Amino acid sequence: MDDIVQRVRQLLATRLKLAKAVDEIGDDTPLFAPTGLGLDSIDALELVLGLEKEFGVVVEDRAVAIRVLASIRTIADFVQSQGKG
Amino acid sequence: MTPGKRVVAVKNVTGGDPHLQGHFPGNPLMPGVLLVEAMAQTAGLLLSEGSSAVLAQIRDARFRRPVVPGDQVRIEVEELGGLGGLHRFAAKASVDGSTVAEAEIVLAVSGLGRKDDS
Repeated sequence: MDDIVQRVRQLLATRLKLAKAVDEIGDDTPLFAPTGLGLDSIDALELVLGLEKEFGVVVEDRAVAIRVLASIRTIADFVQSQGKG
Repeated sequence: MTPGKRVVAVKNVTGGDPHLQGHFPGNPLMPGVLLVEAMAQTAGLLLSEGSSAVLAQIRDARFRRPVVPGDQVRIEVEELGGLGGLHRFAAKASVDGSTVAEAEIVLAVSGLGRKDDS
């Protein structure tokens, strides 16, 4: 699981070009709240494509994305629940 | 939308294109921003008929060679995926088989693509 968390962090850092910001947030920090990483819907699409490429998991629609992309931990949980990683 | 969908469009660049008159005087060169616009319009062909879309992001745009009157620009666009009203595309423009420009673009279907923190 720690390995998945690290790979999710790596994904955020490289796909969104946010290496420094990602280093500074916790696994439970809200990714989209202005008080968190402050991501937007374009970043969400980028993450969905990145997750599919890196882990082979499919985020089907916006509703699933809102749930799965809440934090680094929720992304890692989703990857694990899909039997990937 | 289904990832992997592809479309190809062709634009013949001629000296009569009005934007070439001043870009640049005596040295006509198709503006890079119009190559990107051509990619965006081509990508729009992959969206459902009747929907309209606007550019939401241009990423990693590169302009490798000048495009001049007489060139036939071939624009190839592939959809990479979508979420909500947003769709991401990889686009490549080429002349005589050589890449002249490439970019990744995101289109937002009008009315759905507003920035909404979700």
